[in-house]
Amino acid sequence: MNLIVMPVVIYLGSAFVIPLLFRKNEELAGKFTCICTFLAFVISILIGINVFSQGRFISFAGGWENPVGIALMVDPLSALFLIVCNFITFFILLYSDTYMKKYTGRIYFNSLFMLMLAGMNGVLISMDIWNIFVFFEIASISSFILVAFGLKAEELEASLKYTIMGFLASTMILFGMAMIYGLTGTLNLPDIAFALSKLPPSHLWFTVALLLSGYILKMALVPFHTWLPDAHSMAPAPVSAILSSLFIKIIGFYLVIRVSLNLFGDIYQIKTALIVLGVVSMILGGIMAYGQQNIKRLFAYSTISQIGYCAIGIGIGGYLGYLGAIMHFIGHAFSKSLLFLDIGAIEYMTGTTDSNDLEGINEQMPFTTLFSNMGMFGISGIPPLGNFWSKLIIILAAVKAGYFGVALLSVFVAVLTLGYFLKLLRNVYYNKPKTKEEKKEAPLGLLVPMATLSFMVLFTGVFLIPSIRKTVLDKTVGVMENFSYKSLHISETDESILLEE
Amino acid sequence: MDKGMSEIVKGISKIVFPFIILFGIALVLYGHINPGGGFSGGVVLAGGFVLLLLAFGKDYVFKVFPPKIARLIDSLGALGFLCIAVLGFTGGHFFYNFLNKGRLFHLWSGGTMVFANIAIGMKICSALFVGISVLSMARLEKKENGPIYRQSGEE
Amino acid sequence: MVIYLLVALIFFIGLYGIVAKKNIIKIIIGANIVGYAVNLLFIVMGYQWGGMAPVLTEKTKPDEFYKLAVDPLPQALVLTSIVIDLAFLAFLSALAIRLYEKYETFDIEKMRRLKG
Repeated sequence: MNLIVMPVVIYLGSAFVIPLLFRKNEELAGKFTCICTFLAFVISILIGINVFSQGRFISFAGGWENPVGIALMVDPLSALFLIVCNFITFFILLYSDTYMKKYTGRIYFNSLFMLMLAGMNGVLISMDIWNIFVFFEIASISSFILVAFGLKAEELEASLKYTIMGFLASTMILFGMAMIYGLTGTLNLPDIAFALSKLPPSHLWFTVALLLSGYILKMALVPFHTWLPDAHSMAPAPVSAILSSLFIKIIGFYLVIRVSLNLFGDIYQIKTALIVLGVVSMILGGIMAYGQQNIKRLFAYSTISQIGYCAIGIGIGGYLGYLGAIMHFIGHAFSKSLLFLDIGAIEYMTGTTDSNDLEGINEQMPFTTLFSNMGMFGISGIPPLGNFWSKLIIILAAVKAGYFGVALLSVFVAVLTLGYFLKLLRNVYYNKPKTKEEKKEAPLGLLVPMATLSFMVLFTGVFLIPSIRKTVLDKTVGVMENFSYKSLHISETDESILLEE
Repeated sequence: MDKGMSEIVKGISKIVFPFIILFGIALVLYGHINPGGGFSGGVVLAGGFVLLLLAFGKDYVFKVFPPKIARLIDSLGALGFLCIAVLGFTGGHFFYNFLNKGRLFHLWSGGTMVFANIAIGMKICSALFVGISVLSMARLEKKENGPIYRQSGEE
Repeated sequence: MVIYLLVALIFFIGLYGIVAKKNIIKIIIGANIVGYAVNLLFIVMGYQWGGMAPVLTEKTKPDEFYKLAVDPLPQALVLTSIVIDLAFLAFLSALAIRLYEKYETFDIEKMRRLKG
């Protein structure tokens, strides 16, 4: 099946076709990107159906076989991430067709967005450590430029901080890859896993530290989180939505799973480090969100808090821990993108995102308030919406593994999360406005994507119905629990040893 | 506005420029036999155009190689590379080398790699030239509060 | 062993430039130097003592080639890495020009409008 490279080819092709064809009329560029994303979504559903029924699929680029070629692989974890990523970006691009009317230079926005999506999809399908790095860099550099897109003073400053810290992360990862190449002599992930399993672990701590610190900086756990509140609050609304809900997860969370669980194996020290960093991020994100006036900055700190939950889920391990982390990823992706699109709609109609200036949104924009409610209750974990199931599973996993302190802190931070969202609802949405100004409801082009995403927030609990759970989630968790890249290694010398005995 | 550098620099860069372009094209075309290839050949080609930009001033160079054509070549180079990769499906795999590979160690022995090198060379040359020309269009204007940088010209 | 220490020295000089300097142009130059150090490490990892360039011509003998040739794979990786660093440099330079337009200084201690 040759379809696995098709999403990347579609996104790269459209990124270079857009400046050629659409320089005269920029309106059509937005619609063209929506069509491309829809095509990629259909292809990823076909890939998903094939992978969930028949198992993982490996192919080589150019036909060059094992020691020489660049390997591509889609397994159930990658297929799930592909489907969620393309689905959410289709609706974000539908939204940005209307929202970006207030910005100039829209043709560059669409072209850069397509490049960023090409990078994110490319990370998901490749099984070669250098291929992952090149797509990671394509996505990163495009996101640096997109954060600075509005060219106001604060946006440029935020992008400067983000660029310098992202550059350091890329350097650490490159350093780690140089160490891995020096130790093993190959770039193919199964061969690396096989060679690393023969070395004693004391050779590996430096390499593990370098690689993990680079990926954790992109995942924004404490103490590597300082770029996130500035970058996500000052970017334009569609860019904030995709950065906060998908980019951190794919470039940070997915690569941490691949590198620390599947490549290095089950090492106790990495898991303990992830639990400690996750707990600190949870608490810090929750507490800092209380003091923010800018609403987007509050949502950015909330993102740091929820990423802490995912890190705890991986760190605890076992079936329940991994299941909780994956379901938390799905629920948070839908609800956080919905929240950022809501704030974008409010900013489109009123011109500000400061909670001191906004009041009485419910009376003028009732639909936007309804969707905001669903997003906020989805994140804080009100049953039966969104993240209730995943937080419950993570707390159960912590209790079962004996980490009682972690479980108590998770419950405490869940209450904190509801606290700052309720404060926001009371101060901005549901109070009476002092001045009688006529604000209208957001236009239809902004409302339809928000309605669809809030509909999906309602139904994330549906993944736990046993028939759907067995086909989709069990296989995904099986990738994280039982699979190591060592098992895909093909070696020629082992057969002769077996024959002699 | 700016009229470039002195007469000696202009005269020598006029003589040296064709040799730089020739060297860059040789690096790109012989990429599969000698060290070189698309990246380094493209950078040398861009270096030739930047030499003209520094010696003669941007008004003259934009008549020789306008940025509009540079952007066109940029997109066409990238699309050409993608087409070569997708056409590999006719051989059965993505990015397969499907052309006839002639005699060993001669010029026509790379198959599709020659065309991939040419596409990359074109793209890198025009992308670097557009980047440096955009940076060179920033101008210093004197206002009452102090000097402020503005961008003149297109873009 | 000495050459790895020298590469680490270049890395720390670049890191000092990023961390301790206040002018934005000096930070950009420091970032460049860090990029050079990592590329140098890659190439040094593939070196073979008494090595020859890994270019096959009609006149090379195969045994001598397999024993003495320097590893060509890191050289291909470094080409890609140099182009990525070039993209970083281009973006940071354009960002520095736009920042001067808005804040009228290159000093990063004065660019402090985002707090909290």
